[in-house]
Amino acid sequence: MLKVANLVKAFPGNYGPITVIDRISFAIPDGLCFALLGPSGCGKTTTLRCVAGLETASSGRIEIGGTVVSDPEAGIFVPVHERPIGMVFQSYAIWPHLDVFENVAYPLRVQRPRPGKAAIRDKVMEVLRLVGMEAAADRPAPLLSGGQQQRVALARAIVRQPALLLLDEPLSNLDARLREAMRDELAEMIDRVGITALYVTHDQAEAFVLARRMAVMDRGRIVQEGAPRDLYARPGTPFIAGFLGAANLLRGKAEPCQGRLRIALANANGQALELSGARLSGDDVEVMIRPEDIDLVASPERDRQNTLNGLVTHVHFMGSQVECGIDIGGTQVRALAKPSDPITEGQPVALRIDPARCAVFPVSTPE
Amino acid sequence: MTELALPAPRRARRAARQRSGLDLRGRMVVGAGVAVAVYLIAAPLAMLLVTAFRGPAEFMPFEAGARWTLANVIEVYTDPALYERVIPDTLVFVAGSVALSFTIGFGLAWLVERTDLPGREVWFTLILFPFLVPTIVLGIAWIFLMGPKAGWLNLALRALLGGEGEGPINVFTMGGLIVCQALASVPFVFILLIAALRTMNPALEEASGASGASPVTTFRRVTVPVLLPGILAPFILVCLVTLEQFELPSIIGVPAKVNIFSYRILYELNPAGGLPNYGGAAAVALPFLALGIALLALYNLAVRRGERFVTVTGKAYVQRRLPLGRWRVPALIFAGAYVVIGALLPAAILVWASLLGYVPPSLSALREASLAAYGRLLSDPTFWLAVRNTLVVAGASALIISLLGGLVGWTLLRLSFPGRTLLDFFSFVSIGIPSVIAGLAVMLLYLTLPIGIYGTFMILIVAYSYRLAVSTRLAKAGLMQLHRELEEASAASGARWTSTQLRVVLPLLSAPLFSSFVLLFIVGVREFTLPLILHSPDNVVLSVLLWKLFQNGDAPQAAALATVIIVLVVPVVALARRGLMRAEG
Repeated sequence: MLKVANLVKAFPGNYGPITVIDRISFAIPDGLCFALLGPSGCGKTTTLRCVAGLETASSGRIEIGGTVVSDPEAGIFVPVHERPIGMVFQSYAIWPHLDVFENVAYPLRVQRPRPGKAAIRDKVMEVLRLVGMEAAADRPAPLLSGGQQQRVALARAIVRQPALLLLDEPLSNLDARLREAMRDELAEMIDRVGITALYVTHDQAEAFVLARRMAVMDRGRIVQEGAPRDLYARPGTPFIAGFLGAANLLRGKAEPCQGRLRIALANANGQALELSGARLSGDDVEVMIRPEDIDLVASPERDRQNTLNGLVTHVHFMGSQVECGIDIGGTQVRALAKPSDPITEGQPVALRIDPARCAVFPVSTPE
Repeated sequence: MTELALPAPRRARRAARQRSGLDLRGRMVVGAGVAVAVYLIAAPLAMLLVTAFRGPAEFMPFEAGARWTLANVIEVYTDPALYERVIPDTLVFVAGSVALSFTIGFGLAWLVERTDLPGREVWFTLILFPFLVPTIVLGIAWIFLMGPKAGWLNLALRALLGGEGEGPINVFTMGGLIVCQALASVPFVFILLIAALRTMNPALEEASGASGASPVTTFRRVTVPVLLPGILAPFILVCLVTLEQFELPSIIGVPAKVNIFSYRILYELNPAGGLPNYGGAAAVALPFLALGIALLALYNLAVRRGERFVTVTGKAYVQRRLPLGRWRVPALIFAGAYVVIGALLPAAILVWASLLGYVPPSLSALREASLAAYGRLLSDPTFWLAVRNTLVVAGASALIISLLGGLVGWTLLRLSFPGRTLLDFFSFVSIGIPSVIAGLAVMLLYLTLPIGIYGTFMILIVAYSYRLAVSTRLAKAGLMQLHRELEEASAASGARWTSTQLRVVLPLLSAPLFSSFVLLFIVGVREFTLPLILHSPDNVVLSVLLWKLFQNGDAPQAAALATVIIVLVVPVVALARRGLMRAEG
């Protein structure tokens, strides 16, 4: 279990302190994998390093497994090597002077009291088997490929059964194909071990696959936290919507209409959408619709509710799907079609929109 | 047609020359520069080699009456003292002081570079201090501190533990010599290892911490073994530099009856009774020269292996520092102990001795303080002559070497010609030549060549200028960052080769050349061995003057001069730090 409460990290800067982490709080229950997702520089890695004890927090409390490990106000700081953690580094940090077995055995060899030789051997081989590296136990570290280093790094991080596993962008050093394969494998291995894990990444797909819960960070703050599907479907801000995946953001004016919300879209030939809920009446709003939630119909459909008409401006064939750009009267909308759909450039089409899958944001939202 | 008629290597050479836009004037400049550089190193060494086989001893090598002979070699190598004293003493001295300086230097470099030791800047500067002060200054201070009878530390220890007469510490032993040499070498080791530590991925250490290892365990089980291949090259270099040490072996080693080879050469030149035995000195020098060059070859091998290893593990990393936690206090004590013994106590005792002479420290003694020693020093024309000689010789040689090094570096990188490998060898071999041998070689050469610079400060400039390796290396590193197109653009704009060099290359290389100038200026100011071997009343420099004052038993004035040297050196620290930072990067 990990509890982070009101964590702040500020560095001294030339013009006063620079706050990298601004009062963030989250908790990870036992056995759950939690992802911190955000663009580079948002403070996610610093948060992880504060949890690890590689960075000292300015204020706030960090609790691992019920023990407070950092609380500057109370004068508590447990050094990194006394925290019950395992960590996978972005560069893997496999020690080049040790072979695979010794790299993984290291956390046990520095443990006090030190486990017996046989116990170490059994434990190391067990985790090497888990990560599929038992055959390479004697291999010197510099001869490992990226994917193998990744596995060894994970084995080393879990070998002493830490209360908390920390993963700092562990896949970002791999090339795209391998990254996807390792992502799925890593998810499966973490699941199998059933360990409490904090996973830091800037890749939303990694967070979706690996985490049961996730938090999106931006400029030192957690802007939204929840289950991956919920965040994807109901992002709190246009920034989150865009960060989690492709999103159309349509501007308009909202007004109440028979218990529903009627949104007159700007630059859309006077077309409108009718959504449920009446919170934002009278405001300028943005409506978010994900391309995959739009039903693309090959001919125009006038006077059908929540259907927008427009002309196809481009068609990008991408293999498994076709991405289309549709001009609905001065605004571009992206939608997906199947490769077999007869869509061509310049064709008039209708876009059927499921109001339940739209999100509405007031325009005044700072992001 | 003619192009194709040429054999392939010549075609390639011509292509390289044409690409570099080298015209006739350029070829003359390059040719002259390379010739001077080679001459400065090769001519004295050739003379040394010849002298070893010329005799008899009472003749100069090329005086009428001298002839080829093996007598020098036979005499030197049948002397049992060489095998019973000189070689074992030299080996014990080098091994002991290198081991100790490496232990201390590694610990300090790791603490300053890789941990959150408070006050890093201050430590850096203080640790650098012994590097900037001539070793002879430190040696005198340590004798004042650890002399068996009246050394401050001994007085303090005797007061504390009781006891009369001498000891408990005696600097005039092999152990004392090793400890002092190690203390003096620590800053050099420190600088080399800081550079090695910087290329290490800090996550390797963090991963150890995250595996539950304490900072000490991390240091022992990760830092040291990971760095080992990268440290081999600095280690060999320190062995080489220690081998050529002369200052401490002469002022501490001689009273201690420790017989280091460098002092043995001086002994051949100034035997207890009789004429200098040039042939004998040269014969002693030859195997040590060979050893130096062999170590240098090893060094180059190690550098190449180290680079291979580094490419596996690293690039430039954002440096994060390991928290020391409860190890902070022991770490501070360790660094503090070195700085106190290596820098603060020597400086303090020299100031004290300059004001009070050889009086043990006490408050009551303070009333006797007097500036008389400074008055005598500053009114001595020899002092001012030494100041002038030191600055002129260090400045001129640093300038010559930096420019020559730049030229040689350019030639090595941009041209292809027969003998390039040989020039490359000459450009770095100077590191492998012990300065006592370089001094001897220069002495022999200009005693023989009738151009009248022997005994003047000119011979010092020529002698100092054999240290081409540093500037060539810095210039090469700088040139590698300069895209060739910058020179080509100048040529395409109509500039001839010399204009391109003066207007484009030289300004762009000014940073590394300036670094090399600063480094070599410091080396020149510190220089003691060369000016001692070549010294005459006219070309005395500060370090030699200090040595003379000390040998004459004039403690207050020696201390006053040492203090003046320290005061002169302190402002250079800032400059040097910048220079060193560049040199590392």
